[in-house]
Amino acid sequence: MKWKLMYLGICWLAFWSASTAAAQEGNTLRISVFNESTSIPFTHVLNTPVHPGIQVGTDLNWKNGDHYRLYPSISVGYLFHRDLYQAVYLNLELGYDLQFDFGLNLKSAVGLGYLHTFNVQPEFQFEDGSYRQGKDRGNARLMPSLSLGWGYRLQPANPRSPEIFMMYQSWLEYPYSPGFIPLMTHTNLHLGINIHP
Amino acid sequence: MITKKITPILSLLLIWGCTQKELPILSGTSCDNVISEANIEHPRHTDLQQLLQDLVRDGLPGIQMSIRQDGRNWNGSAGKADLAGGQDLLACDITRVGSTVKTFTALTVLMLQEEGKLTLNDPVRDYLSPAQLEGLENADEATIRQLLEHSSGIYNYILNLEFQTASLNDLTRVWQPEELLAYARGKSATFAPGSDVAYSNTNYILLGQLIEQIEGKAFYEIFREKISEPAGLEYTRFAATDPVPESIIRGYVDLYSKLEVIDATHYSGWDYFTADGGLIANAHDLALFMETLFTGSLLSDVSREEMLSWKRPSGSNFELFETDFGLGIFRMNTPYGAAYMHSGDAIGYYATMFYFPQQQTAIAWAVNGNYGKLDQFSQSREAMERVFKTVFEE
Repeated sequence: MKWKLMYLGICWLAFWSASTAAAQEGNTLRISVFNESTSIPFTHVLNTPVHPGIQVGTDLNWKNGDHYRLYPSISVGYLFHRDLYQAVYLNLELGYDLQFDFGLNLKSAVGLGYLHTFNVQPEFQFEDGSYRQGKDRGNARLMPSLSLGWGYRLQPANPRSPEIFMMYQSWLEYPYSPGFIPLMTHTNLHLGINIHP
Repeated sequence: MITKKITPILSLLLIWGCTQKELPILSGTSCDNVISEANIEHPRHTDLQQLLQDLVRDGLPGIQMSIRQDGRNWNGSAGKADLAGGQDLLACDITRVGSTVKTFTALTVLMLQEEGKLTLNDPVRDYLSPAQLEGLENADEATIRQLLEHSSGIYNYILNLEFQTASLNDLTRVWQPEELLAYARGKSATFAPGSDVAYSNTNYILLGQLIEQIEGKAFYEIFREKISEPAGLEYTRFAATDPVPESIIRGYVDLYSKLEVIDATHYSGWDYFTADGGLIANAHDLALFMETLFTGSLLSDVSREEMLSWKRPSGSNFELFETDFGLGIFRMNTPYGAAYMHSGDAIGYYATMFYFPQQQTAIAWAVNGNYGKLDQFSQSREAMERVFKTVFEE
């Protein structure tokens, strides 16, 4: 219970930090729900069954041109992969948007994150010659990512307009199973909104 | 404002996420363990039991083993059938034995040849439709023999990373043969038919379909009629009729190589309806099967010779022992002489069966855990040598 509270506290703190940062001039608050899958990137767009996730973050104002925007972002998220694991993560990304006058923009981002996964069913740990059900302290992972997608400003002429977006994020889970499966590939399909709080 | 609205939702999700699902406890094995009653008559019974206990103490959740030697049989077990319920694993319990079914498939095909229903050098296309073979490179030219000895060169669907990730993405999915074959269609063959050998599960899915085409009923029904009943394999059945029997022992995976295992009993759904896996049995039945296959009357001497015609893969870099490919069987050159063998994995399970012709000894073992660090205890060269040493050395 203690570690669960700590875990909850860390996530809440990260979320609070993101929303506070988003309140700074020019920064945005980005919220998305997504479907995660273990899959080979760019082979399928939507995989079933749905493994739900939620992500909250902020895009920091950095470089803006007439038709582009370059920005670092920070986000925290949670995902639930049925039968296998659940995870929380903190992800740092560098994003590039190519913007069109009619409100559409094409998005890309590269990222590196920290992921912590937990089993979704009891874990039996080997100790002193036998297995006992024990506390799952989870597994620490790196999650490098590459995202591509699009966004649309609901009020194209208003630079502070809310934006809806869809991002196809492919990412690696490393290490996965040392000596057995070195890394695992995942994809997340995000649907979200970007707002100026 | 939005922050205030989202924070409770995020918190609820996190709390929900932290909740682990409860596992049903094994309903209780009903097997009457008569097969272990004569164990004391085996001269190595103490050493064999100690070996199993040592393997469990090393990290296996549970293991059962069967030895048939000089007319004396030993059937032992150690560890747990169900870690959550703490139920002991018995020698009579049933478990998944995966690809060991390929020897059953090959035996059935050889029996069909004896009955004059096919010949091994027939092209597969004589029996399977163009639609069944579509997109499987080499399948048009391959013969039945080449499927049996893995010399067809047809791509192994299990190696397709898209299949592997899709399987992990939906662990409880039940796959049909056609869905599995789709992962081999359009893939380049490994080599020209007959020019080399390389293990491919696709070959045995096709053989299962071929048996069904010839016999007009499910291949596992043929296995039961031609093999299990005549050989007295009381514990053997096929997953298609009851994929997860109530009495099957729990299977576990060490997915992250930490000797921290989770229950994977329901995660072998790609294995239920094809002749490349899906067998449910136990170590007792596997050892009995091997003994019957190589000393009994299931197969004529001529057919047995045909089964034991060997091919060695080119450029071999053997992980275990030097290994040659026969028809649904392998020959391993162990420190204790040649052994005919096949092994099989399902998710959470592993089994292997050997017959040593010089010693006229059948050995089989089955464990309810695999992947990660567990495999070293049950399927490595060291693990096999440990078992053979205990059986054969005074």
